[in-house]
Amino acid sequence: MNVVVCVKQIPDPADPGALDPESKTLKRDGKLILDESDSYGVEMALQLAGDSGEVTLVSMAPNGEVSGLRTALAMGAAKAVLVSDDALKGSDALTTAKVLAKAIERAGSYDLILAATESSDGYTGTVPEQIAEVLGLPSVTFAKAVTIDGTTVKVDRQTEAGYDEVTCPLPALVSVTAGVVEPRYPSFKGIMAAKSKPVDQVTVADLGLDAANVGWAGAGQEIIEVAQAEARQAGEVIEDDGEAFNRVVGFLSDLKII
Amino acid sequence: MYEWSDEHLMLRQAMRDFIAKEILPIKEDLEHGDTPPYDVLRKLYATFGMDEMARATFEKRIAHEKAVAAGEAVNDDKPSRHGGGDAGYTLIPIIELCRHCPGMVTAMGVSVGLTASAIQAKGTIAQKERWVPQLLTLEKVGAWAITEPNSGSDAFGSMLSTARRDGDEYLLNGNKTFITNGPYADTIVFICKLDEGNDPKDRKVLSFVLDRGMPGLEQSKPLRKMGMHSSPTGELFLTDVRVGRDRLVGETEEVSKGGRDGAKATFQQERSGVAAMSLGIIEQCLDLSIEYAKNRVQFGHPISEFQLIQQKLAMMEVARMNVQNLVFRTIELSKAGKTMTFAEASAMKLYSAQAATAVALEAVQLHGGNGYMAEYQVEQLARDAKVLQIYAGTDEIQTVAIARGLVG
Repeated sequence: MNVVVCVKQIPDPADPGALDPESKTLKRDGKLILDESDSYGVEMALQLAGDSGEVTLVSMAPNGEVSGLRTALAMGAAKAVLVSDDALKGSDALTTAKVLAKAIERAGSYDLILAATESSDGYTGTVPEQIAEVLGLPSVTFAKAVTIDGTTVKVDRQTEAGYDEVTCPLPALVSVTAGVVEPRYPSFKGIMAAKSKPVDQVTVADLGLDAANVGWAGAGQEIIEVAQAEARQAGEVIEDDGEAFNRVVGFLSDLKII
Repeated sequence: MYEWSDEHLMLRQAMRDFIAKEILPIKEDLEHGDTPPYDVLRKLYATFGMDEMARATFEKRIAHEKAVAAGEAVNDDKPSRHGGGDAGYTLIPIIELCRHCPGMVTAMGVSVGLTASAIQAKGTIAQKERWVPQLLTLEKVGAWAITEPNSGSDAFGSMLSTARRDGDEYLLNGNKTFITNGPYADTIVFICKLDEGNDPKDRKVLSFVLDRGMPGLEQSKPLRKMGMHSSPTGELFLTDVRVGRDRLVGETEEVSKGGRDGAKATFQQERSGVAAMSLGIIEQCLDLSIEYAKNRVQFGHPISEFQLIQQKLAMMEVARMNVQNLVFRTIELSKAGKTMTFAEASAMKLYSAQAATAVALEAVQLHGGNGYMAEYQVEQLARDAKVLQIYAGTDEIQTVAIARGLVG
């Protein structure tokens, strides 16, 4: 089985991020790393593809950045398609989905597309479903387990109350949570092999898209203002009169934690 | 080479992730609980495919040696000891482990470095196939036994351990001490002198390979020591241990093929590894010191604003840059297929070990009273660093080796 994984390369969360004051978007000039939330999709894909299948990565990043892709290639993915084009600056979620959909078509035949539920820098959480819509595929979200059964994919879909068992025909797009599998470490051999694995770097034009319809030009969004998040409010102090535990139980119950 | 490559950085990150997940949660047991480091080291090897790579590299080398022996290949094309010819893949795990548990590197290095290398360098093909693969993969734990209660820096001159011929076999006797992995070793390279009734100083130095459990071989419990607690160190007692010629490294008594040359080659390799160990300790001490100096407030200011503290940090950075450059040089030399002279390796070891100890002690000083507490990691690293100036040849012995290289 061939699996395509959508991966995002993001600024290293360990380094303090900065906003571009003009565009009000995250600066992405430096070295980017594989979004940790995508490592689960890569691992799931490698396990589903097994020895007979192939895992292909698709990504969109500025400046031809491949550092994050190399990490996923070192884990075992076979190849990657990278869309890198200055025209993509300012792309909103839908434009990103359209671009990635084109990149997936370029990646070759596939049975399944995997993505994280959301990226760790943008957090829109909408791109995977939009890709499915653009490609005309069924989409299952929040997978905490994925198995293949012939021509269908079976997904345990995380819900607030537990999980739903969902079956849908292949090809399909599934977004996976961090609980789906434990990502492997890239082996020494994998790291050495990664640098020679093919990365097909393409522009918007290579994908048959019009630069006027992507990036800031094609965005259906405008960032008006960026403001500091509201400071956390002081917590509620409960004096224990011997029954305080009921308040704690009620509080946790309201949050659906218990 | 002036900076780590992207592949090196990826490897470093993977190592850091592994250490955070697998080693730091059990660090207390490794450092203070007498938990041997071998299981987690094996997990490290399996996780990163280091065992598989070591086995594959060994098989290539042995196939080449067989071809050379059969006259089918030339000796110059010997495959690299490092996978892909990049020593960074060997040194980065050392650096990263030494940021937290330098003792683990000592245990690992003595097994896969010293012990396996001693057999690999001077053993016969049959001996290499018999013992080396399991040592290189850490399936078996190795120990390299040269030091004795009365023989340290004067390793060969004062050596009392003996091998006496007994028919076609040898009887081995002697006591060894400060033997890394001694308490748990499965395979031991025992260095001793051939006793032919002659003057001890004229005796040939021989190496034998012993297996755990051989009659007459006793392995002590771990010794208590100042630092490197994640590396078990012990004593070995040999009483009439009977061995055949198949256990004599090189299967020859000719000194040029075994003995002193083999031990010296092993010293050289050991000295190169100490630079990488030092770099890990220095990097960690510097990172911890910067963090502490920025957050520790005295007289109303973070102490990082005080020039005497800044001087300490600056000197630590100078040491870090110098030792990193020595490590880079080691990698470059390895890529070029060259080796350092004995004097060069000694100079590198001397400088790196002194730098690591100085930086670690300054880190303790910078942390003040907190630095003296076990809760702050610099206390452990300062204890660990000190042995770098003692084992693998003391500072004084390195100095002599450097001077000999200069003036003969």
